[in-house]
Amino acid sequence: MTAAIIIQSLASGLLMGLLYGLIAVGLALIFGLMDVTNFAHGEFLMFAMYITFFCFSFFALDPLLSAPITAAVLFAFGAMVYMLIVRFAMRAKTNVGMVQIFATFGLAIVMRGLAQLFFTPDYRSIPTTWLGGKTISFAGIYLPAPQLAGGAVSILAFALLWVLIKRTDFGKALEATREDAGAVALVGIDRNKVFALGWGLGSALVGLAGAIMASFFYIYPDVGASFALIAYVTVALGGFGSVFGAFAGGIVVGLVEATTAMVLPPSLKSVGIYAVYLLVVFFRPRGLFGSI
Amino acid sequence: MSFSINRRNLLAGSAATLALGAGAVRPASAQTKEVVIGALYPLSGAAAQIGVDAQKAFEVALAVINEKSDLDLPLAGSAGLAGLGGAKVRIVYADHQGDPQKGRAEAERLITQEKVSALVGSYQSAVAATVSQSAERYGIPFLSADNSSPSLTRRGLKYFFRAAAHDEMFSAAMFDFLDAQRKKGQKVDTIALFHEDTIFGTDSANAQLKIAKERGYNVAADIKYRANSPSLTAEVQQLKAADADVLMPSSYTTDGILLLKTMNELGYKPKAVLAQAAGFSEQALYDAVGPLAEGIITRGSFSLDLAKKRPSVGVVNELFKKASGGKDLNDNTSREFMALLLLADAIDRAKSTEGEAIRNALIATDLPGEKTIMPWSKVKYDESGQNPYADPVLLQRIGNTFVTVFPAQAAIADALWPMKK
Repeated sequence: MTAAIIIQSLASGLLMGLLYGLIAVGLALIFGLMDVTNFAHGEFLMFAMYITFFCFSFFALDPLLSAPITAAVLFAFGAMVYMLIVRFAMRAKTNVGMVQIFATFGLAIVMRGLAQLFFTPDYRSIPTTWLGGKTISFAGIYLPAPQLAGGAVSILAFALLWVLIKRTDFGKALEATREDAGAVALVGIDRNKVFALGWGLGSALVGLAGAIMASFFYIYPDVGASFALIAYVTVALGGFGSVFGAFAGGIVVGLVEATTAMVLPPSLKSVGIYAVYLLVVFFRPRGLFGSI
Repeated sequence: MSFSINRRNLLAGSAATLALGAGAVRPASAQTKEVVIGALYPLSGAAAQIGVDAQKAFEVALAVINEKSDLDLPLAGSAGLAGLGGAKVRIVYADHQGDPQKGRAEAERLITQEKVSALVGSYQSAVAATVSQSAERYGIPFLSADNSSPSLTRRGLKYFFRAAAHDEMFSAAMFDFLDAQRKKGQKVDTIALFHEDTIFGTDSANAQLKIAKERGYNVAADIKYRANSPSLTAEVQQLKAADADVLMPSSYTTDGILLLKTMNELGYKPKAVLAQAAGFSEQALYDAVGPLAEGIITRGSFSLDLAKKRPSVGVVNELFKKASGGKDLNDNTSREFMALLLLADAIDRAKSTEGEAIRNALIATDLPGEKTIMPWSKVKYDESGQNPYADPVLLQRIGNTFVTVFPAQAAIADALWPMKK
């Protein structure tokens, strides 16, 4: 094993990890805000990838250009899902946790079924994009342009998210609602509005991830499943509710996956991720950066 | 073409059958009835498109079976099954989602609830393994249309049949091709295997490993990966490091797309890619990767070039195009079409819908290759239920179509070697 292979693996792992983080952060945000796990998260990703695909096939919009559109549509969609589904699920008198799980899980199945019906199970792909197929290489290390852009978008999104949460009134409202939803009502903050905005924001972030991924990954109704699984591990690893945790968790998952594949046969590369996850659960159950 | 699939023709055909049935003198037991065949396919999940396309292939096959036409295929010349008083064939579909346990449950449901006379399926070999066991227990014949795992016909099952080639036959043909390249003076010393981790990929790689050893090819890398991986970067890096003369992938569509895209991103260009069909015979893969697939060679059971020698290929392809919204027959859909025809032909000759009688008719099958749409020399099952006369072809992706490049008697062009960069 040469140094070039090791550097290449780590670089690829890092880029993939940044993307994993971007996919996962919406999940962490929503959970942190209101203790609801969105089991349709992978389907949100799939939906975003299809929007990007259709923007390209109908309007010849490059994924980079349509990314804001995708994020905006997903924002509206996420807010709508909260207002029409999750809001009611949270009113359940008993077994609130179960009702929420089944509500979002049911949504996942419906979304998958509708995608299969309307978009057909065909594998789609955006054949030529500004970034697709382009690669930056030096000294035997290859960095694909779409993943580089994905990494950059991910870092940028996390930076903006940090500013939004720490430096704006909306961020303070989010934080306060999360601390005590009843108390914020007393000072005139509409709980439902904050939650809906939280869902919108979380969904917009996964929308961004979907837009980037559509430029190098194939698209079909079940595409979200394998990424959603990684997103759950990422969030659990980084710490439930911690936005920074999702960022760090994503990078850890990406790097561990790449390192495992160097040591073990590639078919076992997810073993490393789950081993690290188990260690975290044993020794630090709230996750690396969790506060709950 | 003298017929097309539409309601009027179907109705006319049924009316004619009824009229014939009423007029003919026949034993009371041989009433015009319906023969039900169960088809197990993934209709949802990652491979759903395969199942949806299979339904179209069966739709065309049903038209050939249930209506009269002048095609040179079994059962084409009569409306319905003459051996059963013109009975029509009907298909009941079951969705196994690529899951062996769902496959087993659905097979039992088809046999016990839907009372099917025979089964056809199932794309994934892992599912065929459980379905065939259920079929065996109930004594219902299962004709595998498109499962290519060699182990399936080696379990001593009495009710399992396969008309198409299995992976060892395919792999042997692939190495025959490599041998031929060597004879032409090409340097072909090392190969790299890249296969997914279910029964299809594992069996395929095992067969290739065995043949490579026998024929003196050096296996530079043998990479097993997890199916439907979110990323194949690490795997492709190892392939690139091994830098073998020929890359031999055994992958389904999703992983095939990701493999080619990742190879391109990491700047890996092998001299030749020789694929074990599956994903590489799917139009979706070529639509998704476009020019990245140029020059790839895949083994196949079928090629449209064959229309030059067997005219029914062209006709059936047109029918399929109409049914599927413009898709050409491929490796999978051609085998699925043929399998239903062969199964219905056996039921016709059995003059019965009983499992035992159909099995005996399948064993007695001896159909010349010209009466199929496949490049096979004939259809005749050996004692394991395998048809050893299912000759495979190798096809190279050139421009936007496949060109048959091997074996010599079927080839219409020489293989491009090394493949275009």
